[in-house]
Amino acid sequence: MFDSVDEVVGQLGGQGYICGKNIGTVVYLASQLEKPVLVEGPAGVGKTELAKVVASASGRSLIRLQCYEGLDEAKALYEWEYSKQLLYTQILKEKFAEAMSGTTTLKDAAERVGREDSVFFSERFIVPRPLLRAIQAPEPTLLLIDEVDKSDPEFEAFLLEVLSDFQVTVPEIGTLTSKHKPLVFLTSNDTRELSDALKRRCLHLYIDFPDQALEERILATKVPGIEQRLAEDLVGMMQRLRKLDLKKTPSISETLDWARALLALNAKQLDEGLVRDTLNVILKYEGDIKKAQGELGKLLVKRAEEPAAAAPGAAAAAPAKKGVLH
Amino acid sequence: MQRKIVEFTNLLRKSGIRVSMAESIDAFLALDELSLEDREVFRDALRTTMVKRSEDIAGFDQLFDLYWSAFYDNLRGAFDQAVGSMGGEFDLEQMLKAIQQGLQGLSGDQEMDLSELAKALLTQDLSQLEQLIRQAAQGAGTERIENMLQIGFFTRRTLEQMDSEGAGKQLRDLARQLRESGMPDAQVDALLDLIDKFLEALRQAVRNYTERELQQRNFDYMEKFRRESLLEKSFYNLTEDEIRKMREVVARLAQRIKNVLSIRRRRLKRGKLDLHTMLRRNAGHGGVPFELIFKQRRKDRPKLVILCDVSSSVANVSRFMLQFMYSLQECFTKIRSFVFVAELGEVTPLFKERDISLAIDKALDGGETINVYTRSNFGHAFHYFWQNFLAAVDNKTTVLILGDARNNYNDPRAWCLRDIHNKAKDVVWLNPESPSAWGFGDSVMDKYLPHVDLAEECRNLKQLSRIVDRLVL
Repeated sequence: MFDSVDEVVGQLGGQGYICGKNIGTVVYLASQLEKPVLVEGPAGVGKTELAKVVASASGRSLIRLQCYEGLDEAKALYEWEYSKQLLYTQILKEKFAEAMSGTTTLKDAAERVGREDSVFFSERFIVPRPLLRAIQAPEPTLLLIDEVDKSDPEFEAFLLEVLSDFQVTVPEIGTLTSKHKPLVFLTSNDTRELSDALKRRCLHLYIDFPDQALEERILATKVPGIEQRLAEDLVGMMQRLRKLDLKKTPSISETLDWARALLALNAKQLDEGLVRDTLNVILKYEGDIKKAQGELGKLLVKRAEEPAAAAPGAAAAAPAKKGVLH
Repeated sequence: MQRKIVEFTNLLRKSGIRVSMAESIDAFLALDELSLEDREVFRDALRTTMVKRSEDIAGFDQLFDLYWSAFYDNLRGAFDQAVGSMGGEFDLEQMLKAIQQGLQGLSGDQEMDLSELAKALLTQDLSQLEQLIRQAAQGAGTERIENMLQIGFFTRRTLEQMDSEGAGKQLRDLARQLRESGMPDAQVDALLDLIDKFLEALRQAVRNYTERELQQRNFDYMEKFRRESLLEKSFYNLTEDEIRKMREVVARLAQRIKNVLSIRRRRLKRGKLDLHTMLRRNAGHGGVPFELIFKQRRKDRPKLVILCDVSSSVANVSRFMLQFMYSLQECFTKIRSFVFVAELGEVTPLFKERDISLAIDKALDGGETINVYTRSNFGHAFHYFWQNFLAAVDNKTTVLILGDARNNYNDPRAWCLRDIHNKAKDVVWLNPESPSAWGFGDSVMDKYLPHVDLAEECRNLKQLSRIVDRLVL
């Protein structure tokens, strides 16, 4: 699939996902060793995106399982289609009567029904859920198990079983084995500690907030219209903002949103008025916004060569456009 | 290489990073797939296979540098310095070329049999040198080093083990022979000088290695201990820094309890088939049960009233308990919280408006709600509660009191607590003092005990979480 770490980085870059060698190494190893990858990191750094991009870079189809509290086997693996089974029995009533004809005792009849029950417990009546679909898929797939930490510990134990050998036993049918071992990505926001057993089976990847240079590259790729200078200022401010003790630290997705917003506002440079009015794009809590506004002077590092005359005009223009953001 | 990785794995384990057998095997498999020229890739491969908790990453990076890169860099530095100190016009390349020529000039029987160390020194093969130093250190038993005083001893033993003196002698002999075979005197002198410098650099490198070994052995107590003990450390003696860290630990612990609770709840909820409702609901399908209905049990979430002593002696305990309780908000139907020293005041609204940690600071800093600069008076506080807030207590309410019951010889007014107890479902008292101190000095804990369903010592996070666990069950 991939031949080297550099190739991985290159291919992901080709899909618009800019990453460092650390991510490349893990993805490469995952494809070579056929091991699942557990991706952790703050919200919005591109964990889910990574899985999607790897899928398209490697030409695999993506099967996604979104985890949530209360997710169980029936929702993740397979389920018997109870109503369909019932519907069939209703429709086939006469056929049953035919099959039953000639039986004299109840025991005989039960015997006969018993012989026929495989009709109702066949793949026809199974609803495959993401895990089973990944196992049954005729071509190689990428299975994304999103936000495993949201699921319950019981489900985690069950997942372990599936991930270890990629086969599922359906009691009525038999064991279903995968034709191709899917590439598995699990993502977690670290809201709870996952079990050691699960972690042991996975390669671990921690995606942190990118550094200034990397974030600028990401910005340039994702928001092509932005001017270099504005991009630099913007990323610099985000980097400083992340050092504050905020309830929700803004992430790459916020950087991109902000850049797009500024682009829509036709802003040429960052100044205090503009930032004050657009802070609600990057910060999602009232308390955070207040805090950031208090520190605005420190966050916005003035450029030495900045022409002082440009600032008031932009500040006056900004409030009028505020409506766009709300 | 394999041996080094196993050693490194052991180092990780000693430092409190759990690496299982399967994981170290994964590391080997991963390294097989990669070219190891790039140090970054090498580190990422080790990290992704062996370190599975994001908290451990910082520790891993530190250890990686300590074990893999720093020593080599140091070695390089020592030798670069040795060459650099030779003076401006000295050129190592030229010298090596001259030696090469000189060696070719020597006849077969004069040819020297140089030891590996001497060769490595002469050719500046640093990775070979690193290997030799590691081997020698192993032979010398450097891994048994225990304190600073032994550094000199083990350095000497390692040098002896690798026979640095022998190598030095061989190199000097070589220089002499080169002189005899017609090398210019100035060059030979420079060579002799260089050899001395190299030997000194080697000694330094070995010493550095020994020091590093000591650091590695001591690494475990640094980080791991701190984290472990935060759970068990008494609230009384936390530093500022630890209080900050503690907030995270509390949040995590609360999350864990929530998880456990959600499982318990779900088990309760998954009731039996509700035949009555099901038949009624499926009447439309001619009585064929298309839709299955299960009985759902009603959840019984407790109400909570918290009374917190916030006098300076127990302020920290109060802080963490409040944080804990409010992190668990959704486990209770309602929480009302009060703080007191002598006066008592309600702080519930603070928590509605603000971020938890901010609200707690606000509640504890005082001034606004109550005067915190007085002496504790439990009797007065309970009486005030009894007068004004008794209606907040009903038979579904658990009253949680936190305080050391040091009443400064005031009237305990235990009857107030008795009345509260009569109305409440439970009264739980958390006391940061150990039971042996209850009732001694100005402690009136013994007066209150008859009206309390559960009194527990609560001095650290572990005890707190155990009590909370029992409370929300």
